Amino acid sequence: MIERDAVLVRRSQQGDRAAFEVLVRRHADQLHAVVVRLLDDRHEAEEVTQEAFLRAWRGIQGFKGDAQFFTWLYRIGVNEARRRAQRRPAARGVGSLEDQVVEPRDRGPGPHQAFENADLRAALERAVRELEPDYRAPLILRDVEGLSTAQAAEIMGLSEAAFKSRLHRARLVVRAAVDSYLPDGGTT
Amino acid sequence: MIRQLRHPLRFHRDHRFTMEHASEYLDGELPEPDCRRVDQHTGVCPGCRRLVESLRRTIAGLAGLREPRPGGEDVAAGVIARLRNKPAP
Repeated sequence: MIERDAVLVRRSQQGDRAAFEVLVRRHADQLHAVVVRLLDDRHEAEEVTQEAFLRAWRGIQGFKGDAQFFTWLYRIGVNEARRRAQRRPAARGVGSLEDQVVEPRDRGPGPHQAFENADLRAALERAVRELEPDYRAPLILRDVEGLSTAQAAEIMGLSEAAFKSRLHRARLVVRAAVDSYLPDGGTT
Repeated sequence: MIRQLRHPLRFHRDHRFTMEHASEYLDGELPEPDCRRVDQHTGVCPGCRRLVESLRRTIAGLAGLREPRPGGEDVAAGVIARLRNKPAP
């Protein structure tokens, strides 16, 4: 029988290490996947993932259950990943809405390659990597990992309105960068 | 109707609105009247129509970046090994 996170959290709060280990097995991969995308470094991402779980274990008594366990856990991991990412050399800025809508920033290698899925994937990966951490995280949580707006906003510690605005800007930057690779794509 | 939608002031307001809310529109998070506003505007504005369509394809492409989980015992095992050295909270 699969126990719900809330049950496992309650048992963990009573000191049941085995219950917490079930939570680890349930959530470690996805958290690791998110952190890898934020840091572009599997080794460092594993370190951050481990640290997030250790902090969650230490702080489990303080978890009130008004959030889902995984959003609370992800918030710990994503905050640490953003903190590390922000210490690195600056990524490309996001700029104003008009900048992103009017003209794609990078039209890529040309129409002969425009419809290749592999090229689109590579262009998307590159565009996501070039985003500032504060814009990259919403895109990864919402669009790559498929979390809901409410869950992703909670992880980011933002209101839904602020989260949506940041997500939209991030999407526009990525769209401008991959525009020439999109099937039937092209922006005037 | 089309003439109303192309009135410069209304067109400008709807254009701005579509640019700002295209993501919510595509995520199904825009109220119905606002969805209709975007639908009507994209019907008369080729630029916004292209914006919405290319954004839709971008979002679909991003969803395709999600990698299948490898089964994941490695990451979990690393966490559990470290946890076992820690005292209960």
